[in-house]
Amino acid sequence: MGYKWDLSVVVRFLPVLLQGAALTIQLTCIAVGMGILIGTFVGIGRVSKNKLLYTLSSIYVTFIRGTPMLVQLYLVYFGLPAYFGTIPPRMAAIITLSVNSGAYVAEIVRAGIQSIDRGQLEAARSLGMTYSQAMRYVLIPQTFKRIIPPLGNEFIALLKDSSIVSVIALEELVRKGSMIAGRTFRAFEIWTAVALLFLCMTLPITQLVNYAERWLKQND
Amino acid sequence: MIKVVDLQKRFGTLRVLNGITNEVREGEVVCVIGPSGSGKSTFLRCLNLLEIPDGGQIYFDGVEITDLKKVDINQIRAEMGMVFQRFNLFPHMNVVENICLAPLKVRKCSREEAEARAYDLLRKVGLQEKALAYPDTLSGGQQQRVAIARALAMQPKVMLFDEPTSALDPEMIKEVLDVMKELAKEGLTMVVVTHEMGFAREVADRVLFMDEGLIIEENTPDQLFNSPQHERTKLFLSKIL
Repeated sequence: MGYKWDLSVVVRFLPVLLQGAALTIQLTCIAVGMGILIGTFVGIGRVSKNKLLYTLSSIYVTFIRGTPMLVQLYLVYFGLPAYFGTIPPRMAAIITLSVNSGAYVAEIVRAGIQSIDRGQLEAARSLGMTYSQAMRYVLIPQTFKRIIPPLGNEFIALLKDSSIVSVIALEELVRKGSMIAGRTFRAFEIWTAVALLFLCMTLPITQLVNYAERWLKQND
Repeated sequence: MIKVVDLQKRFGTLRVLNGITNEVREGEVVCVIGPSGSGKSTFLRCLNLLEIPDGGQIYFDGVEITDLKKVDINQIRAEMGMVFQRFNLFPHMNVVENICLAPLKVRKCSREEAEARAYDLLRKVGLQEKALAYPDTLSGGQQQRVAIARALAMQPKVMLFDEPTSALDPEMIKEVLDVMKELAKEGLTMVVVTHEMGFAREVADRVLFMDEGLIIEENTPDQLFNSPQHERTKLFLSKIL
């Protein structure tokens, strides 16, 4: 009961924590960007009638979603060097987060495409469009609007999960927090500050997604 | 123009079409009537290969289109316009974009040419003031008229109508049927699956009555409606007229 809060520790180390937060945001943005790129193609593969495309994309999604991200990170950081030589932690982190995010985005894209009324594809095909033209001009544009909310959730999830890369000594927010807490013995204050900083990052994204959702509805 | 020989289609173990043989001549308006589940829509959807038949042949302008290895399915569909029960306009595009998409991407028309034709067609269906509107701001009848314009923009040789007024509120049926009558008058070849007996009677050159995946009876509307030959036709007509 005798614990006295010392907020001066937080104030003193806030710039360091913010540095970590900046790296967290940076990693997440790159990974989600890559994830959308990967996920769009893999998601289209998941609804493809082409057996090979379907099988490959399904294996990828199943593997990534069925294994812990920590294991994936170790595979990339400690495993891949067996073939490719040492991989810098930052590179390993970006690869892991992107490949991981890609699988989840792929499922979002797949569900988005499948949620669109079958009549849309039929109408496009009845006009003489090929399957890929129908995808590109009719289905995918409609999918984008629908998947913005789940994509926002994916961004938030990845922002939080990116803390996993602290185990390969990448100094993002959690790693910074753990370093400072270890040095100052002010764990309660520091981890509270870290938690609040995460909230400060996730809340605006939630707001942004809500706003985008309303805006898209108006412009539908 | 379209010749169908012994057309068959199954969905799993359910036999939907049991050997349809018929011919649609150029400039002819053929209406297909029959109870629900009789295979009318499936028959229509086989004509442009939205459903792939399990047996029989379809010839379009003398070319066997059911021989999927030899024909370009997209090229054939481009020559056959289709209008659906539920309109199926593209909701992310305005009316003109809906109409221009296929001419631009499939026919590789210039934008000027495609838009000029789109506005012509909109005038024809009485909707030029809705050119920049989005589909969900239009009534059902207006959406269906846009869908007709969209199909016509490809300048098809034949138009297939799949119960075009079945999803409409009663007060909007007439505006759509009027457009279709106009097209018939211009000599467009049309195959119309419909429950609108008045339309069939007035516009069709020939009416096909289908039941259980077969054409039970076909005749001029006058003959078919006034003196049906088959018991099943009589029964069906007695229920709806």
